[in-house]
Amino acid sequence: MKILIAEDEITLQESIIKFLNRDAHICETASDYYEAISKVSIYEYDLILLDINLITGNGLDLLKLIKKEGKKIPVIIISANNSLDDKVEGLDLGADDYLTKPFHLTELNSRIKAVMRRGKYDGDSNISFNEIKIKTDAMQAYVNEKPIQLTKKEYDLLVYFITNKNRVLSKEVIAEHLWGDNIDTVDSFDFIYVHINHLRKKLTDVAANYIRTVYRIGYKFMDEDM
Amino acid sequence: MNHKKKIKLLKKISRSFLTYGLLAMILSVIALYFITKYIIKDETEESLNSQAFRIEKLIEKEGVPINVHPIINTQEVKYIGTQRIKDTILYDPAEEELEPYMELITYKKINERAYKISVRTKVVELYDILQAIILSYIVILLTVFLAQYYLSRKNTALVWKPFFNNLKKIKTFSIQSNKAINLEETDIEEFSELNTEIKTLTNKVISDYQNLKQFTEDVSHEIQTPLANIQAKIGNLFDENQINEKQYNLLIEISNNARRLATLNKKLILLAKIENQQFKTSNQINFTNILKKSIESFEGLNKVPILTREMEPLEINGDPYLAGIIADNLLSNAIKYTSSEGEIIIKTTTNEFIVSNSGEAAIKNPEKLYDRFYKENTTKKSLGLGLAIVKKICDNYGYTISYTFSNNMHVFKLTFN
Repeated sequence: MKILIAEDEITLQESIIKFLNRDAHICETASDYYEAISKVSIYEYDLILLDINLITGNGLDLLKLIKKEGKKIPVIIISANNSLDDKVEGLDLGADDYLTKPFHLTELNSRIKAVMRRGKYDGDSNISFNEIKIKTDAMQAYVNEKPIQLTKKEYDLLVYFITNKNRVLSKEVIAEHLWGDNIDTVDSFDFIYVHINHLRKKLTDVAANYIRTVYRIGYKFMDEDM
Repeated sequence: MNHKKKIKLLKKISRSFLTYGLLAMILSVIALYFITKYIIKDETEESLNSQAFRIEKLIEKEGVPINVHPIINTQEVKYIGTQRIKDTILYDPAEEELEPYMELITYKKINERAYKISVRTKVVELYDILQAIILSYIVILLTVFLAQYYLSRKNTALVWKPFFNNLKKIKTFSIQSNKAINLEETDIEEFSELNTEIKTLTNKVISDYQNLKQFTEDVSHEIQTPLANIQAKIGNLFDENQINEKQYNLLIEISNNARRLATLNKKLILLAKIENQQFKTSNQINFTNILKKSIESFEGLNKVPILTREMEPLEINGDPYLAGIIADNLLSNAIKYTSSEGEIIIKTTTNEFIVSNSGEAAIKNPEKLYDRFYKENTTKKSLGLGLAIVKKICDNYGYTISYTFSNNMHVFKLTFN
């Protein structure tokens, strides 16, 4: 997948590229508004990560331009501004998601994949991993074609695992993905273990082994053979 | 603050006009009374003297005493006495009663004979004149005074009109509208100066407010970006899978602190926005639904049960986003401070939202509960902003929040009007 990262913060650009490259994506960067405009008009991209506060211009203007030209490119806004107005405006203008800085790279990865699954970009709304299959439009998971009953959190957890397969997910990152700012209420994330265990039980014997415990750190979703 | 009793400007001006005007009136009437009385007395004495002089001449010519009762009385005496004036009461045959008179008694030597000459005049007439003068004076004075009072009232109102109009405009001035104040021009120098000063001040306030808003946004951006860098770098380090447990734990600490800082930043910005009244929405919203969503969002995170036994539909006026913040913050507060054996009870009525959670003793400093960064229990990792934000929202939208401790439960009650 070819991704344009329109972000004026070079350090952040580099981190995102490094992370996404592991999934064999091709990343290009635009460090200011005009570079972004010219790249968007010349090249074709599968996805744009768009910072609102580009040094020389407003990312939302770029978004308007893209939509005006009728380009069917998914756009995820990454902004330091948590204000609701910006979020609403961005989404109204046709952005597919809005991610507030700071974010975990695994969270970004999972949002990218969620956007790509959407029907309007002709993506496949199904996720599969060996015998596990998830129909995201129905929010239903199957193991060997047999539906399994998951709670909302367990479902989110499974999708998060598969979209970030082969990556180490710490307890903190998992907790933040599932509960957002609400994790402020707990002092320790050890309780994640309970939720992981429930999920493992429901995934039946074979699939349960995909969730590996990385000792005292967190979890990693990977194929048995690896 | 000065808590002196307030009075309307026009009332105050007319009140002082009335007070001083009446005082001057009373004083001038008293003065007029004494002056007129003195003049009348003086004139009467003079006229009595000249009368006595004419009688003296008449006796000199005729050689006999003259008597006209009761106003002239002359008689021969042995010795010459001293001249004097006195008040007396005599019988007046014309009126057939006793009347007060003023009497001049003088002694003269006419043709080698000593005479005592008494001339008198009726006092009643003098006082009648005095009364007439005073009365007409009061009538004239009152007429002039009332006319003056009425005119000055009208005039004052006219003079102060631009002031009152501008006062109205100042009252409707809103700092958020970003519109300079438009005051009525006037030909009165002081008012014009006042207008200029108010314009300068309000423009300064508007620009300060805009700067502050911009500053808050800039700070947010400037802080969130390095935090995003920290978070992303750590993410990559985890991902590379080449770190040992000790390094990992250090990185987790850094990551957690970065998140803490980001949350703190977000909450402070939210607080500033509420304070600056940047939320203007006030719609009819279904609070019960918002509350249910909020409870759901804590699902799996809370180690204590959240019981919702009595949930009457609660409709409130406000901002849906802020209503969500209220529900989230009160719930998260309850979850944080409930021990693992306790429970949380949520209740709504048609105008109240009540969150109770088990506890051992009442909060020690309930008055500080809504202060920023106040922490009742320092062992908890709380930021101490949740309740401060709830309180600010309540203040802005006219909700009331109260805290009580009863039956081993901390109870927060929100009342919507």
